[in-house]
Amino acid sequence: MRFLARRLGFYLLTAWAAITLNFLIPRLMPGDPVELLVARMKGNVEPAAIDAMRKAFGISDASLWQQYVDYLVNLSHGELGRSITFYPTEVSTVIADSLPWTIGLVGVATLISYLIGTALGVIMAWKRGTWLDGVLPAATFMHAVPYFWVALALVFVFGVTLQWFPVSRAYGLDVTPGFNAEFVQSVLYHAALPAITIVVASMADRILGMRNVMVTTLGEDYVVMAEAKGLTSRRVMWAYAARNAILPNITSFALSLGFVVGGSVLTEIVFSYPGIGSMLLKGVENEDFPLMQGIFLVISLAVLVANFLADLAYVVLDPRTRQESE
Amino acid sequence: MRRPVSRIAAMAATLALALAGCSGGGGGGGAAKSGDAPPLVVHAVDAGTFQEDFNPYHLEGVNFGTSGMIHETLMFFNKLKPGEITPWLALEHEWSDKGKSVTFTLRQNVKWSDGKPFTADDVAFTFDMLKKHPQLNKSALEIEGTEVLAPDKVRIDFAATSYAKLYDIAGNSPIVPKHIWEKEKDPATFTNPKPVGTGPYTLSKFSAQLYELVKNPSYWQPGKPEVPVVRFPAYTANALQTALQQGEVDWAGAFVPDIDKIYVQGKPEQNKYFFPPEGLVTLLPNLTHPVLGKPEVRQAISLAIDREKIVRIAERDYTKVAHPSGVTMPGGEAYVPEEYRDAAYKVDIEKAKELLKGIDPAQLTFELLVPSPYTDWVNAAQLIREDLAKVGITVETRGVAFQDWVSKVGKGDYDLSIRGTPAGPTPYFQLRSLLYGKLAKPVGESSTGNYERWKDEETDKLIAEYAATEDLAEQQKATQGLAKIMIEKLPALPLFYSPSWAQFRTNKYVGWPSEQDPYAMPSPYTSPDAAMVLLRLKPAGT
Repeated sequence: MRFLARRLGFYLLTAWAAITLNFLIPRLMPGDPVELLVARMKGNVEPAAIDAMRKAFGISDASLWQQYVDYLVNLSHGELGRSITFYPTEVSTVIADSLPWTIGLVGVATLISYLIGTALGVIMAWKRGTWLDGVLPAATFMHAVPYFWVALALVFVFGVTLQWFPVSRAYGLDVTPGFNAEFVQSVLYHAALPAITIVVASMADRILGMRNVMVTTLGEDYVVMAEAKGLTSRRVMWAYAARNAILPNITSFALSLGFVVGGSVLTEIVFSYPGIGSMLLKGVENEDFPLMQGIFLVISLAVLVANFLADLAYVVLDPRTRQESE
Repeated sequence: MRRPVSRIAAMAATLALALAGCSGGGGGGGAAKSGDAPPLVVHAVDAGTFQEDFNPYHLEGVNFGTSGMIHETLMFFNKLKPGEITPWLALEHEWSDKGKSVTFTLRQNVKWSDGKPFTADDVAFTFDMLKKHPQLNKSALEIEGTEVLAPDKVRIDFAATSYAKLYDIAGNSPIVPKHIWEKEKDPATFTNPKPVGTGPYTLSKFSAQLYELVKNPSYWQPGKPEVPVVRFPAYTANALQTALQQGEVDWAGAFVPDIDKIYVQGKPEQNKYFFPPEGLVTLLPNLTHPVLGKPEVRQAISLAIDREKIVRIAERDYTKVAHPSGVTMPGGEAYVPEEYRDAAYKVDIEKAKELLKGIDPAQLTFELLVPSPYTDWVNAAQLIREDLAKVGITVETRGVAFQDWVSKVGKGDYDLSIRGTPAGPTPYFQLRSLLYGKLAKPVGESSTGNYERWKDEETDKLIAEYAATEDLAEQQKATQGLAKIMIEKLPALPLFYSPSWAQFRTNKYVGWPSEQDPYAMPSPYTSPDAAMVLLRLKPAGT
């Protein structure tokens, strides 16, 4: 229990630091949102109108400290303010509208990539020295190639040239959003290509990671012991070697789960997917402080929660941490 | 101006498309209902998703079409023919009290789309609302009050002479229905999800990826519009390039990198485009700089720059070299002094060198600040650097983030920069924004115009003269004075016009604006012009 309490304390401190940085970083950017708006707007803008805009957007000249206090007070009520880009929509609405798309696409794709990648890693370690080793250079290649390049290449081949898959948006224009078969089908169809690119691009990491740890584990005495006892090779592979080798992979999985929320900017841009990454890009382009803050907050909290879950999983999986905590 | 990241995305998409060659062709813009004219698919602004916002007074985030197609203005100002004004909801206007009051006589028998009659009360309500909620008053109209004189007559009073604001009052303030909006506690945050307007269209469908406008059956112009349905799907800049290539979109306003290959596809009679000027891109010298403050230095810089080459190479010939006065040509002739109407730039390296003789060459080193996401301007800056090197001026081009550029130019923290100025309803607005002394704040404070910080009594006097009269000839005379200052004193150096993007396909509808018939801005993202275009469209082959 002490272990968990200590971790919890650590997370609270980190959350506070994240919230504070979250407040500071957007304000360190040059310029202000209204100036940007004026630069982008096509009409002539009068100085008096600019003051009115500042007022409307709630941009204050109050001291940084005062703004910080206001920010914390609002946050404690769960108020994230109104977005400037999508004024007058509340930031919480923007996030609530876009988050499900991101979690649905990137979350599921990450899970698939993790499961397939880990399993492949285990099998490849077990059958090392066979033709399966030929997959390694390919995996190393995929590991090194920038993600968006893979995505663009797939869009070009399967979307533009062969026209097998739609290349943008989350569902077809002809379907009405709602819980009906047509809509669900359209969503799945539109998610297929982006999901495949995520799986392909991120699976390599899992394969390599799992295989390397697995190879080391296979040299351990208890594996030799298990084999000597005459257990089936399947049992040795999964229950003895893989169970021990999976620990580092759990950590990286938990981390990548946390980044599901934030790490999808490129996927969403390439596929024009209406998730949180596209919103973040919009927010940054327009110096939309409230929106950026809201999204960063969600991302940092997601990373923290995922880490905490990883800690819990460790306690379950690794008896050594349990001993320490007693 | 286009959004910065859009261009990068567009480049990426083009890369993919260029590799693909022209594989598209399928797609189609949605099936037509039998016996009915087909829907028109429009892309106005880049958006991944739409928010349900139809409040015409919101600055951004409001869905395109709200102003013009749903909510109409009192008059229509054709920006491509300065001075051409069409009566719309108002038939007449009359100034009184030295330009501090204007009385509008309204069109009768106009109905809101819910059947209620449109009256002077609605106009008065709209302007009272702007007065009460300065956040919505984006043109900063100094409204004092309104008075309904008759069901079809309304007077609006202003705190100051407002002749020059007629465009903002009558051409840029969409009228909203009193009987619906008066129930809203805070019109500033009201999103008007079920808009009721007097315009040719009403909202029929909204989702985050698509909204649709349908013909208003009780529209006051009988038989119009002939386009029954207008669809707005959400396209990001990236996705739009593919959509244009595949022919999914009928009317778009987008920067297309290689337009012949991606969009025209060998069918110039069907896949048309028209890029008229909507503003002026100038090379801004910071006049508070001791060397750039000297007129002969600016003259020399202007003589050395090969603008034709910039338009050809950096702007892909999508636009034209600007008139030396900065006034948009053709269209703005009446606003330029007679002796300068045919003026044009000519490169003269010898004369430029001559002008720079008295200046220490060591002082002729400047930094040229450009926003790096605007790749065309970055290219233009490189060309300018090469040209100026020929006359002994060293230019360092520096690309910075868009935000940084906005902030530095606003505060006057630069030597040379490039910036666009919107054209406005007449050339006066553009020149005012470029030259008006009151807009220039001291270096270190953000200005909202006159970024080069031109201070000149004569200029300010001419600007005041224009604003103090409603007489067109006198307004033109004052603007001619400003044009003369531009040409003779070179407070800012015009380069080329910033184009307004418009791609339209004629396979479903014809009657689009053209160079021969510039009846409105052709871009789908200009309001209320886009509504004017829709009202002129006719089904192809009829």
